[in-house]
Amino acid sequence: MATAVLGQDERPLVAEASLDFLVVEMVDLMHRSPTDTEMDKEAAYFKLENLGYQLGMAMVERITKDRPRFLDNLDVVKFICKDFWIALFKKQIDNLKTNHRGVYVLTDNNFRWFSRMSGDGAGAEISRQAFAHLAFPCGLIRGALGNLGVTTVVIGEVSTIPQCTFQIKIAKP
Amino acid sequence: MQATGATGMSLEEEAKLVYGVVFSLRNLVSKLSAKPGSDGFISYRTSTYKLHYFETPTGLKFVLNTDPHMESMREALRTIYGQIYVEYVVKNPLMRQLTQSGVHPVQNDLFRGNLQRFVRSLPGFE
Repeated sequence: MATAVLGQDERPLVAEASLDFLVVEMVDLMHRSPTDTEMDKEAAYFKLENLGYQLGMAMVERITKDRPRFLDNLDVVKFICKDFWIALFKKQIDNLKTNHRGVYVLTDNNFRWFSRMSGDGAGAEISRQAFAHLAFPCGLIRGALGNLGVTTVVIGEVSTIPQCTFQIKIAKP
Repeated sequence: MQATGATGMSLEEEAKLVYGVVFSLRNLVSKLSAKPGSDGFISYRTSTYKLHYFETPTGLKFVLNTDPHMESMREALRTIYGQIYVEYVVKNPLMRQLTQSGVHPVQNDLFRGNLQRFVRSLPGFE
């Protein structure tokens, strides 16, 4: 996807497709286990979420290094919706809702990692399978917020592919 | 769901027949070909239809049947592979789960929809 000629550019470039493939394979890998119990699925979700957490923390260090301080929690969440999402997915969050009491709902109408998902007709089935792929992005958001000083719980929800929502609950101080 | 083609055979039987024909023709063409490294079998034409064949370096085979008067559909087949198959089948995050539950990964809605739209947009389609 780079405009530079492969092998002749000094800037370090990575094909976007390789990142997409890596993320997909990561979810499949975590779910590969000899048994198929509920505990395994929860363990896989937990592992993926923590992976995202570490990555989110590191990403946010890198992205905010030239930025001034944040004013309040809303400012931090707006940063996630704009700069963080653009850095990761080249687009912003489409909709942000809040109840001004520490709960924010972020909606992405065309989530990049869901844009190629499809199955054989059954929409509900796909939404269920897509849920496992939400663990990593939830962790990313939680890690980013955590490293900016906001302790949260992030829950993802998928309604219809490729739309998904992330609910951020800020822990009471 | 068993769709039948114009010949009245089920799609599965037709697919097996075509595979056999294409396999033997490819063998024949490569053995008779004088120059090494030539393209190999590309298409054959009868009085009622023309069959275009495209094989990827990974061994995937694409077959397209058209009117006997069409010219080369090689670029179209290449686009189908690169822009439609790779995008909507290879990059489908649910591909592994689909194959595990017995559904062939090609039977997915995004792939079928985009393929339909692309083929309809080709010049010469009616």
